[in-house]
Amino acid sequence: MDPAALAALILVAGIAIFLVIGAPISIAVGLSSLTALFVILGVENGVLTSAQQIFRGINSFPLLAIPFFVLAGVIMNNGGIALRLINAAKVMVGRTPGSLAQTNVAANALFGAVSGSGVAAAAAIGSTMGPIQAKEGYNRGFAAATNIASAPAGMLIPPSNLMIVYSLVSGASIAALFVAGYVPGLLWAAACMIIVFLYARKRPELKMTERISFTEGAKTILVAVPALLLIVVVIGGILRGIFTPTEASNIAVIYSLVLSAIYKSIKVRDLPRILMDAARTTSVVMFLIGVSSIMGFVMSFAQIPAMVSEAMFTISENPVVLLVLIAAVLLVVGLFMDPTPAVLIFTPIFLPIVAAFGIHPVHFGIMMVFALSVGTITPPVGPILFVGAKVAGLGIEDVVRRLMPFFVALVALLVMVIFTPALSMWLPTTLQLVTP
Amino acid sequence: MTAAKNALDRVLTWVCVTLFAVLVIDVAWQVFARQVLNQPSGWSEELAKYLFIWLGLFGAALVFGERGHIAVDVAVRKLPRGVQTVLMVIVQLAILTFAVLALIWGGLSVVDLAWAQNLTGLPVNVGPLYLALPISGVLIAFYTVYHLVRILTGAERPVEAAEPDVL
Amino acid sequence: ACSAGTTSPGESENGGDTTTEVEANADTLVMKAAFNQPESHPQYIVLDELGDKLFEATDGAYDIEVFPNETLGAQRETIELMQAGTLEMAYVGGPLLENFNPDFVVFNLPFVFDSQDHQRQVTNDPEIVEDLYSSLEDQSIKVLGAFHGGIRSVYNTEKPINTPEDLAGMKIRVIESDTNIEMLSLMGGTGTPMGQGEVYTAMQSGLLEGGENNELIYYNLKQHEVAPYYSYTRHLMFPDYLIINPSVWEGMTPEHQEVFEGLLAEAIEHEAELWEEQVSEAKEAAEAEGAQFNEVDVEAFTEVIAPLTEEKIDNEVTQTIYDQVRAAAS
Ligand code: NA
Ligand code: NA
Repeated sequence: MDPAALAALILVAGIAIFLVIGAPISIAVGLSSLTALFVILGVENGVLTSAQQIFRGINSFPLLAIPFFVLAGVIMNNGGIALRLINAAKVMVGRTPGSLAQTNVAANALFGAVSGSGVAAAAAIGSTMGPIQAKEGYNRGFAAATNIASAPAGMLIPPSNLMIVYSLVSGASIAALFVAGYVPGLLWAAACMIIVFLYARKRPELKMTERISFTEGAKTILVAVPALLLIVVVIGGILRGIFTPTEASNIAVIYSLVLSAIYKSIKVRDLPRILMDAARTTSVVMFLIGVSSIMGFVMSFAQIPAMVSEAMFTISENPVVLLVLIAAVLLVVGLFMDPTPAVLIFTPIFLPIVAAFGIHPVHFGIMMVFALSVGTITPPVGPILFVGAKVAGLGIEDVVRRLMPFFVALVALLVMVIFTPALSMWLPTTLQLVTP
Repeated sequence: MTAAKNALDRVLTWVCVTLFAVLVIDVAWQVFARQVLNQPSGWSEELAKYLFIWLGLFGAALVFGERGHIAVDVAVRKLPRGVQTVLMVIVQLAILTFAVLALIWGGLSVVDLAWAQNLTGLPVNVGPLYLALPISGVLIAFYTVYHLVRILTGAERPVEAAEPDVL
Repeated sequence: ACSAGTTSPGESENGGDTTTEVEANADTLVMKAAFNQPESHPQYIVLDELGDKLFEATDGAYDIEVFPNETLGAQRETIELMQAGTLEMAYVGGPLLENFNPDFVVFNLPFVFDSQDHQRQVTNDPEIVEDLYSSLEDQSIKVLGAFHGGIRSVYNTEKPINTPEDLAGMKIRVIESDTNIEMLSLMGGTGTPMGQGEVYTAMQSGLLEGGENNELIYYNLKQHEVAPYYSYTRHLMFPDYLIINPSVWEGMTPEHQEVFEGLLAEAIEHEAELWEEQVSEAKEAAEAEGAQFNEVDVEAFTEVIAPLTEEKIDNEVTQTIYDQVRAAAS
């Protein structure tokens, strides 16, 4: 058997078997990838390369946004900041069905838009909103699912690190890609809001029934102003060019620490426990990202992506069929892979195919980022799913069931994005960033 | 063995807390040096990445000690206790295999390979930075053997009732 | 040659059909080469071609497969993979080899080369580089040759730069190292390290006023959209090295080595031509999209950077090489 095909088989079968018997996902991915490497590199180079790839996977400055936003979230949770924010959000969102979950969706779109990372949004917003929704009677699985499903919207709404990676490989303009992401990104959030609305409509206990007087509302918002200023500091700091999105996550930590000190809600002796809580959550995700990069290496090295594209052309040469097929492949890839390596590996394969059909590289970029973003919320490798479930203190399976309606809505939206180029292209075309 | 495990937990906790605290200060310093002192740092980003890797790997080892890594155990929970025990022994052996092969053996090979390789930003060679891999591998192997023994002697349930609450 | 991800070995085209057609067989050693730029890059193109010709000339004994876009790792990591034998070859930027022998610094200093031709000539002249290049062989790195990797100049969001004074108060993105920060501060600005992925938005938001890179990267990363003033300081001209695992090289017969060296010399020449073409295309395209290119007071910049060069040339080896390089200038 061809070593590349054997490696692919080991990956697929190995991961499936280990997952079924209840192994940690990181071990399922890691040990299968290691075995595949043995086949293509031999044992000695296999172990060395695996170790090196784990290190490589975590060796990224932008990834630091994850521990910092997780930490900021834990501090806010311990420091009474979150409560003040949520009280204000209650007043602002008002008496819509499921308003707390709706607030979560909006906050995720906003945080994702600031950080460029959906994972950080899921961590920061989810760790704050989850417990509060649970306290207000929301099903914990549903609350976590709402948080997870809406977090990737920030990978489409600019700025987006993933778009920059795509632009590097595809040669498409970053400005055009950024602008093109607005409409699909906002539609992503809207789709989540519709699902929340449909869910909450049938559950009257979730409505914000108590009427708040104007003075009471104003007071609640005033109390929350220092906490709300966190968003202003973070967004303003990035927009005004004081720090990068990664550094902004650190500023969020410092700011929430200072605020907690002013509120006198965190003592110095609480800090080690707070740091350790955040370190645990972060480490699980980092270890997974590390071992996933072994798998990424196997796939690149054995040219598994090339096998995929060849197989696709033998299936059909009809553009509609192939576009659906490519979207399906990207969704499947998203099941097993982080979006960044997936963009690096699959753009060179798919872009020439779709370009032959007259698809604009910017449109394809949006389609690709959208499809791979869906993959961030699906098992077995779903960074946003993991972070969201972890910060909610829930198992994957509890959340996955609740994610299904969101998933269906997002895949439907993906089909719209693919076959309605205007959703991506209207804004950049209007602003003359691309020639149609 | 339990005493050793508890002692190791405490040490590792303090290592993680310290690494994390230094990481927060390092990146805050990066912003401060650039925006306030107007003297951008030539090493803070590089240092941050390596602190982060050490934190991630040691934290991961600690979480293996708590059996807190994400797993899809919905199917296993429904099985009889005897089958659960067999499967969880296999799972712990899988973790041990990965720790020994990829982290310890592979880690030591890459430490050796990069021992003399310099780093532009920091006054450290690359090899010593890679030491996080074999060290975390040894820690994970220890924790795994600990759980293996306890599962086999019945001191620990094969499938935990629920994940420990992290927040 | 087959290029990773785009064509498979079976599809590789046979160049000249003058000789008998060579077919890939089980004995073909497909040398995998790591590369951090896209397939359109001159270095990718020439190495891919080199592989085709090598395959023909060695009757299918050797082929080269280039993995572009950093798919196998960043340059530092691919060097390790090559040392370990997982990969046979890699392209690496000049500063990377300083990590293995600090004397490589001499080719990474500001204004050390006068032109692309000067650089190509001296960095491939055995009289000058033989000892330096072979110094890494005990670390499992053999330097096969040096390619042109572009000429770095400063660009910014505000105005054309003519003298070091014009850079005052500007934060310019540099590669993270104290040397680069010091260089930029000598040039009048403030060197600010940052990952390339964050630079575009940082310039857009005003966190950075600019960056420094060659015209290809400047245009390909679309940085001209936010920083339209590209000023030809031409302060750095890092060579890019093609490196190979020495045991692979020693496994080749002397005839194959000779064939390889001949093809490599051709590839280095061809790469230089492709650079010039691509740079002028990138410049034209950037200008069409609103970028402005201007010449600077070169003397003023050369003068302020001189102390850095003196500081970095701190031993006999580097002094000798530096003197030889300068003697070969103009
Ligand atoms: Na974003
Ligand atoms: Na997934």
